[in-house]
Amino acid sequence: MAVPRLLDSLRGAATQAGGALLGRLQHVRLPGLGQSSVPEDPETAARRWRAVTVLCSPEQVGTGADLPAPLAALGDRLDLRITPAPGDRGTELAARYRDRPSDDDLRALRSALRETKQLIEVGEVLRVDPAPHGVRTPTPQGAALEGATARAGGEGVL
Amino acid sequence: MSCERLWNRAGSAGQERGSIVRAATWTGVDEVSVETVPDPQILNDHDVILRVRRTTTCGSDLHLLGGYIPFMRAGDVLGHEFMGEVVEVGRGVRERRVGDRVVVNSFIACGHCWYCRQELYSLCDNGNPNPGITESLWGQSPGGCFGYSHAMGGWAGSHAEYVRVPYADVGAFVVPEGVSDERALFASDAVSTGWMGADLAGTKPGDVVAVWGAGGVGQMAARAAMLLGAERVYVIDRLPERLAQVREHVGAETIDYSRTDVPAELREVTGGRGPDVCIEAVGMEAHSSGIQGAYDQVKQQLRLQTDRPSAVREAILACRKGGSVFVLGVFALMVDKFPLGAMMNKGLTVRGAQVHGQRYMPRILEHMARGELTTEHLATHVMALEEAPRGYQMFKDKTDGCVRAVFTP
Repeated sequence: MAVPRLLDSLRGAATQAGGALLGRLQHVRLPGLGQSSVPEDPETAARRWRAVTVLCSPEQVGTGADLPAPLAALGDRLDLRITPAPGDRGTELAARYRDRPSDDDLRALRSALRETKQLIEVGEVLRVDPAPHGVRTPTPQGAALEGATARAGGEGVL
Repeated sequence: MSCERLWNRAGSAGQERGSIVRAATWTGVDEVSVETVPDPQILNDHDVILRVRRTTTCGSDLHLLGGYIPFMRAGDVLGHEFMGEVVEVGRGVRERRVGDRVVVNSFIACGHCWYCRQELYSLCDNGNPNPGITESLWGQSPGGCFGYSHAMGGWAGSHAEYVRVPYADVGAFVVPEGVSDERALFASDAVSTGWMGADLAGTKPGDVVAVWGAGGVGQMAARAAMLLGAERVYVIDRLPERLAQVREHVGAETIDYSRTDVPAELREVTGGRGPDVCIEAVGMEAHSSGIQGAYDQVKQQLRLQTDRPSAVREAILACRKGGSVFVLGVFALMVDKFPLGAMMNKGLTVRGAQVHGQRYMPRILEHMARGELTTEHLATHVMALEEAPRGYQMFKDKTDGCVRAVFTP
């Protein structure tokens, strides 16, 4: 019984590690890998505006209670900036928290912005799960990838 | 019964199917299995479910099999190049009907975002539900792709009896009467990718075009260049059966790189200029002889570079001054000894892309219907889905002249 529990524990740790690694990947600074040119202090990084460009007019984004549900769900914790994008590219929709956000808050905001964009442009949020698959042989790499995938909608450079 | 199942019953129309299907899956590095997986379901209004009639191996699958793209989980369904019959449609689908015989582009694109409106479909903002992975690697996320890892969305692939097709009005095209399944199949990726390379590289009437790689994509890039008016087209490879196919079915000239100094040959046949357009259709596992080949192999195995770029290097060095190089082969992350000095000082335009197939497929299907584009010869080995492990082994080892193993689920 101890061995299965140990393996479960290791897989759980790998899953956590995969998610955490994805969260930190964009801050890595290695040749050919990572997105940051200089490390910013956490306060500045957390307070950055997160923005998507939506192919619509600014009026279609809405305000207040008319905002698409994913953004409206974050309530009055957010400041929003809605401006026309140059070159007929649509509308720049930017948001940031009024208070100091946690990593979970930032993931929720990234997901909300992406889902809002999809709702306006396409009319629905694309779902991939449940995707058909065969037997998931438990491996550390598979567990790490599972963790990374579970958080991929809320991570990235946004 | 779950709410989701109730929604499916209420929100889609089509044929009753079983609850499980057979599918070819990635089960580990260099391992393919055929196993039972759940029947795909309509999850979004713009989905259709397709009964797969033909689905083919692609050279880029070998990067997944070999573990060079480390975002596969055991059990993932492979396959991204396919055609079949619509058996169920979501309530938001307007253009497709149950019973349509369609070919589907390998990339999943919404058709509504700015990139789709620019016909850059593989860059769709709304096709990849896992954007955090590719954004972290590349700075931005491209669209999603069937059966091509969780980095590209985690979409189930087409090597199955049934496959779910999101945004079906945008990515599924009705096959004209008289076009065979084997011909239409390759409009999904090989032809559309090759056509895109020739087009976006700026091929013009009178150009000399060189194509590295005589697989399905390379052959179709050569054929597209000819249809776009290229004066002469050369295809470079080392496998005699593929070079023979180029001469017989494409009508281009060939160069065997294992026997011929390719840049010297290209200079000789172009009056010393070099080709106007160079198209790379090889990808991250390029073979190369001598010190360069050994160097790239060692660095890739040590993970000091993720990709072997010998064909790209050669294309850049061979291209005429002010010419155009298009990278069609799939690359993952970074390479070493990239000839940036040649690119800059020769004033080259270097461009690459995953396939914007939705832009080209209507035109490609018209060419196919008129008999100007034939692809049946690429399907050298047609076999049942249950034989997928053998098909992939043959395709990888290039045994028995295998150019593409095509499965019939």
